Amino acid sequence: MKIRLWEIFKVFTKIGAILIGGGYVILPILKEEVIEKRNWISEDELVDYYAISQSLPGLIAANISIFIGYKLRGKFGALAATIGIITAPFICIASIATIVSKIIGWPPLESILWGVDFGVIVLIIASVQELWSKAISDKFALFMFFVFLFSILKWKIPPTPIILSSIVIGILYKLVLKKRGLE
Amino acid sequence: MIYFYMFKEFFKIGLLSFGGGFATLPFLYHIAEKYHWYSVEELTQMLAISSITPGPVGINMATYAGMKTQGLITAVIATISIILPSLFIVIAISKLLKKFSDNFYVKSAIYGLKPASCALIAAVALKLIKSSVTTIWGGLIFGTLLLILFTKKKSPVFYLVVSGLAGLLLNIVGKAQ
Repeated sequence: MKIRLWEIFKVFTKIGAILIGGGYVILPILKEEVIEKRNWISEDELVDYYAISQSLPGLIAANISIFIGYKLRGKFGALAATIGIITAPFICIASIATIVSKIIGWPPLESILWGVDFGVIVLIIASVQELWSKAISDKFALFMFFVFLFSILKWKIPPTPIILSSIVIGILYKLVLKKRGLE
Repeated sequence: MIYFYMFKEFFKIGLLSFGGGFATLPFLYHIAEKYHWYSVEELTQMLAISSITPGPVGINMATYAGMKTQGLITAVIATISIILPSLFIVIAISKLLKKFSDNFYVKSAIYGLKPASCALIAAVALKLIKSSVTTIWGGLIFGTLLLILFTKKKSPVFYLVVSGLAGLLLNIVGKAQ
């Protein structure tokens, strides 16, 4: 039985609407919606999609959704999942942004936002912490981290050249290790 | 022309950010400095709201940045552009799956990418600390929250609500900003 594109769109719209916080919390939601309720994919497939999505560029939640959509109905399924996952957040943020821009400048709100800045910085540090445990696997990775951090802060190098050079450095380093028979 | 630049910049984020929603931040910061579509101060506001509203943080951030730029049309462009690379890449590698992630070059590239992505986000944190933590009271709120982060994990909502309340409270006693 062919799963309807509309059905794929609907399920991912729902997932986009109940997901708060992004990629890392999507697993339990997907387990319920696409495995337990609908049996669209197996648990092994979900684990694979999740693992690969983390090593792909882009947003993790979007990547997993596209994998599932593609598995169900090919390119159109992928597109239906993509449109689905962005629909609810888009409507939500577009409305909030409009409201916030109208009430900005109201003094109590300004102080709340001033305070929230510190909360945001702590959240960013939390995400660095989380990535750190996955990223810094050995001494060379630690060395790279500090070299990149220094070049970003000192020479104001933009993200694109940093990312591109990190790919080159990663491959060259592993090739050298391979040649020396160390890996 | 702004539509084209928006497309280009957000497509680049979708193509080059690794590690989920917060990995878009260094790119969004760079855009704020380069194009002035929104300010760096607005960026932290956007992140706060994106973390507690439904949807993947990265999608929310893109939509919000687009709304700030020129409203609905730029919001649509930013949102679609950030997700488009994912669509191409996932469709392209869907058939390979395991073969892709076990590939030597892919593994080595990711080995290099992860510390870079981590450093990019850390740099944003350091820049924001420098520009935001400018008063004793601000430092106090920030230091307390940081202590909570390192001793016990709390949900994002906790940090945002507590810091917002602290801001409001300090405003009432006349110590904010």
